[in-house]
Amino acid sequence: MSGDSLPLPLPLARFAADSCEATTLYRELRKPLLRYLVCLGLSADEAQDIVQDAFVSLHRHLASGGSQENIRSWLFRVAHNGARNRQNSYDRRFGKPLDPHLDSIADDATPEQVVLEKEKFRRLGKAILVLTESERECLLLRAGGLRYREIAEVLGIPTSTVSDTVDRAIKKLAEKCNV
Amino acid sequence: MCDFSGRLVAWMDRELPDHEAADAERHVRDCSECRRRVDTYKQVSRAFVAHCDAVMEATTRRRPRWVPVLASAAAAAAMLFLVFQPASVKQIPVRPRVADASPASILETAPRPVKTVHRRRGIAPAKTPNANWALPETAIQIAIPVEAMFPPGAVPEGITFIADVSMAADGSVQGLRLQP
Repeated sequence: MSGDSLPLPLPLARFAADSCEATTLYRELRKPLLRYLVCLGLSADEAQDIVQDAFVSLHRHLASGGSQENIRSWLFRVAHNGARNRQNSYDRRFGKPLDPHLDSIADDATPEQVVLEKEKFRRLGKAILVLTESERECLLLRAGGLRYREIAEVLGIPTSTVSDTVDRAIKKLAEKCNV
Repeated sequence: MCDFSGRLVAWMDRELPDHEAADAERHVRDCSECRRRVDTYKQVSRAFVAHCDAVMEATTRRRPRWVPVLASAAAAAAMLFLVFQPASVKQIPVRPRVADASPASILETAPRPVKTVHRRRGIAPAKTPNANWALPETAIQIAIPVEAMFPPGAVPEGITFIADVSMAADGSVQGLRLQP
């Protein structure tokens, strides 16, 4: 079994002091950050605002000689706190089911495949609602390409807790979706 | 539970040195419990990521452009109405206010073209659909600053809308249609 086939992308493994250009970071991280925030339940506008603020903060951070290590978790932490600060919409929307865009199912799929696919999405969407807040956050950060220890940095919890939480979340989703 | 699970996490994050990674790979191949765990993780996370993408798609697509256009139609109508005030309206007032003209005086006044106002840098002036568009006597062309009508970022730079307004005899706006 090759590590290359792991489904969660880790696009920024090479991030180190020598490649910390804000534009590169913006290109690579803008979408994952937006996706994280939107999946937390924020509106597109709120997510855009938070991501924009996060990159402005990053610019200041780098300009003032701040550490260039772990920029990815740094940005996710700023975005995560930004989402938390909008506590109202965070609380209000967190419990809402994620509302996926199902038209993205392949055009050449047969009607049966489309039905199956939609059913799968529906089941997963329902199962995600069963997750606790931290389980959902951990999985979303994982989906954002963060390593376990990076997730621990973002959420301010031990890495072992992250690992247990992800395991528990995966188990719950697998049970609900018959994986 | 297999006591390898701690290192499994490091292996999945590719944080193990090469020789340990090879050990881990061998272990996952041989240990059914760890293999099942990794397989489940892969399947669920793949589905989860696809779900997140679909959510993202749905959320970012959900704002069709005409929604803010309709929402701001009233503002546009209010501004147009001001233009048809009597006397000599030379330019759009800074702030819309309720027109105080009587309907009769509106009809008597030939409105003059209003100076276009563009506050947004880089935005092209509003154009008529084609050069042959004969302006009736009462037709005027105005430009509404984009930030007066839309939330910041809602309209990309360089986008303009043509407003097609029909006016009733009493000076009120009968209909307004914006087209990009």
